[in-house]
Amino acid sequence: MDKDTLRRLELLNQLSLTEEQKSEMYSFFDRRENDLSELSSIDTENTERMVHVLPILTVVREDKIVQNFDRESLQAGAPETDEGYWCVPRVVE
Amino acid sequence: MEFYFEKVNTSLDKKIVADDMLLTKGIPTTAGSRMLDGYVSLFEAEVLTRLTNAGYGLCGKASVGELAIDLLGETSYKGACVDENGKILNPVAEIIKSGDAMAGICLDANGYVRRAAAQYGLVSVKPTYGTVSRFGMIPVACSGDCVSVMAESASACRDILDAMAGHDDKDGTSLPESKCALLKKSAPVVEIKRVAVITDMLCCDDTVNSAVNSLVAKLEADGIKVDRIENDLIKKSRNAWNILMSAELCNNVSRYDGVKYGYRSNNFTSIDELYTNSRTEAFGDFLKAAILFGSDTLSTENYMRVYDKALRVRRLICEEFGKLFKEYDAVLMPACSAMAYSIDAVRANKDMPYTENLYTAPASITGLPAVAFEGVQLICNYFNETSLLALCEKLEKEGK
Amino acid sequence: MRYETVIGLEVHCELATDSKIFCSCSAHSYGAEPNTHVCPACCGMPGMLPIVNKRVVDYGMKAGLMLNCHINRVTTFDKKSYYYPDLPSAYQTTQWFAPVAVNGLVEIETSEGKKGIRIKQIHMEEDAGKLVHDIREDTTHVDFNRTSVPLIEIVSQPDLSSAEEVEAYLERLKALLRYARVAECEMAHGTMRCDVNLSVRPEGSDKLGVRTEMKNMNSIEAIKRAIEYETARHIDAIENGTEVLVQETRRWDDIKGKSYAMRSKETAGDYRYFPDPNVMPVVIDDEWFDSIQASLPEFPEVKREKYTTELGLSDYDAEQIAKSIALCECFEDAYSVCGNAKDAANWMISEVMSNLNARQMTYDMLTLDGKALGELISLVSGNKVGRANAKKILNAMFDDAAVVPSKYAEENGFIISNDTGLMDKVIKTMVEADPKAVADYKGGKEKAIMAIYGKCMKELRGNCDPQMLRTKLIEYINSL
Repeated sequence: MDKDTLRRLELLNQLSLTEEQKSEMYSFFDRRENDLSELSSIDTENTERMVHVLPILTVVREDKIVQNFDRESLQAGAPETDEGYWCVPRVVE
Repeated sequence: MEFYFEKVNTSLDKKIVADDMLLTKGIPTTAGSRMLDGYVSLFEAEVLTRLTNAGYGLCGKASVGELAIDLLGETSYKGACVDENGKILNPVAEIIKSGDAMAGICLDANGYVRRAAAQYGLVSVKPTYGTVSRFGMIPVACSGDCVSVMAESASACRDILDAMAGHDDKDGTSLPESKCALLKKSAPVVEIKRVAVITDMLCCDDTVNSAVNSLVAKLEADGIKVDRIENDLIKKSRNAWNILMSAELCNNVSRYDGVKYGYRSNNFTSIDELYTNSRTEAFGDFLKAAILFGSDTLSTENYMRVYDKALRVRRLICEEFGKLFKEYDAVLMPACSAMAYSIDAVRANKDMPYTENLYTAPASITGLPAVAFEGVQLICNYFNETSLLALCEKLEKEGK
Repeated sequence: MRYETVIGLEVHCELATDSKIFCSCSAHSYGAEPNTHVCPACCGMPGMLPIVNKRVVDYGMKAGLMLNCHINRVTTFDKKSYYYPDLPSAYQTTQWFAPVAVNGLVEIETSEGKKGIRIKQIHMEEDAGKLVHDIREDTTHVDFNRTSVPLIEIVSQPDLSSAEEVEAYLERLKALLRYARVAECEMAHGTMRCDVNLSVRPEGSDKLGVRTEMKNMNSIEAIKRAIEYETARHIDAIENGTEVLVQETRRWDDIKGKSYAMRSKETAGDYRYFPDPNVMPVVIDDEWFDSIQASLPEFPEVKREKYTTELGLSDYDAEQIAKSIALCECFEDAYSVCGNAKDAANWMISEVMSNLNARQMTYDMLTLDGKALGELISLVSGNKVGRANAKKILNAMFDDAAVVPSKYAEENGFIISNDTGLMDKVIKTMVEADPKAVADYKGGKEKAIMAIYGKCMKELRGNCDPQMLRTKLIEYINSL
């Protein structure tokens, strides 16, 4: 883990670490790299990846509209709304 | 000491407590995070609906560590529950011990439920992945998240499992009813005849080792053949699970951004500041570390080397268990390295959720059922948890 | 030096389903009140789980087959992570590892002739919400109605080389997807959106130049303008060194007629795709695949060819009807009942289309029962109902799908009685009322009779055989 990569990770995840937290992250990532080295000795060349532990089955639903929630309750806990919209600082493109 | 996050009056006499990972209608669900302080869901967890229909009444919600990924609840934004000697207490277990509730319903993502049950001498069951609906659970690591039960006895666990298990159309990973039915009380029970103890996993203190030895003695006294075997792969489960769990967690908590609901920083002038300051102020240190690590495992540079590798190791671990279950009906291992932890020791070890899950990661990464009983953990093949609980019931009766 | 432009397109089409891709909210977001087609799932709240809408997979497959793609019989969904206010969970569920369709081919025709454009892949994914910037100066307003509306993204290989080809390609996609009834593909409604990847290189070179991606073109005309502008910008940079080209995303400003580099964040680029643990792989078995294959329409050019060679329609008529699969189906059903292709085509082109226009409906919106139209045409050709009344019946059929032409004709007294006694009486009355027309007719102005004919028809409320009325009228006048 280097300074630039850590900075990039912070930006990607919308987090900002203090200097102290950053210095702890370097050793934290070193330990994760150690964890990883224990895996690299395992031969996985002929093994398929396993995303789901269940046997494969297809789950689909019919194309049917069910509208159970109203705007007022969905926005009840919102930090800021206006005229039925959620609000954020102006986004410039 | 207050173990409840939220108390509820219920007229139903079979009282249960839920951890704060289960969404509840009308009362807050925080997942132990400042980010969700005061957050009230518009719908409730499917398991709570099913349990209410079966006559169980929710008496309250118990605090959890932030997003339930720690193993002792120390990362809750409300702070850890600690007794006067600095020993960390588990809220769900405490509430059951106090008699307020007969059982706790919790999200087992990284194993905190099993280890709390083991430390308190309670019984817990993490059922086969896909047999209990995850609808209405705060998502952590969706490929391993399981709704689990903690209770005084194995029979109480079986009763609750009977009420909770079942197919749910609202969960795309829910198994068909025919499979879920194998967890019902009416399902046939197979006799547990052979148990393997994985010696590589016995790296724990005397209190835990003596619990292992004592249960082994009981099993043998009951005519069960117990073999001590070595296994190098299963103990590496945590290395792979930490990767999968952190990546999924990172993705699952990305939705908490201060826009739609939950915590919003007062300090921002742009959208990026709103996101960054809200998340930075609301998330705790360990969650932040887990997010960054999880994100890193998925980066273009690391995906194949790290994440994809972990997915392949997961299959090997499943296959390894598959081989073991050809010879054995259950695998015995500890659920924790010690029966008690002090807050100071936990504070000193920043990695605990990534290292102490040595014992709990094998069942998490495989979705296998796991039972905590008399201070140790038993893992069995998919859909055999009722058989395992039946054995525990038998041992409970013999013990009395 | 001469240059060639190398263009690849990423085309997003909103699928015409009723509900969203992963939740059951309405997918008809166009013009709805903000945040009224939303639920906890599509506004980023925790605890709900995605369940795939089967029709989205149906349509993904159909689109793939229409574009000659190979269909991946096990297709999976993956998560793509980035922060933007229109993305409530900060991830988009899309297809990265195993998209529904790959390796297709679309044939286009331009003034230069025919050309095949290779399709790299088609993947299914969820749309983002909408941001509104013009309500308050300092604030962006967020609407999640469009969040999770199903899309397909059609990714072409860089096989296009001009604005003309791009237009032909987009028109072709639109025609094929509309034929399969999977998407409206209307750029003005935002149901078709297009990003243009463009680079320029010396003609004959096999090395690609620096590639830029352009977004925010809202019409095919804008896309053509953007391509011309961007091509010129690239050539200018190469020849005159006016600027250094960099690989970047640019935003097209159609009013200014220029493209601008979009603000590039340090974070750009790493979407951290990974398989969605909540969505099981979708396995398309033979039964499912075959049912989709069987439901595919013929291509427009096949319809046109069939209509002219087999049914004897004029090129113009065939072209008109083949414009929409809805017109084709209605026409073919009508023909199957009435047995006269020319009659059926005439009714389609004159009456059906004008009814649609009067109702401000597109051709694709036609739901008229073609078999009932065929019955109506038979009533007219069999002299059972007059043409004017038949138009009234058609109008009623547009208003109410339950209208049965023969029954409606009977109930409203539209059946031609051919009561000769009544006809004779009416002719006599009308002829006596207009001696001038009679005199004109007898004086050689044959057309003068039409005025009397019209009055008779009106008096008879259209319920007589026009030929019989005409013959009887002439006979009567001649007998005077």
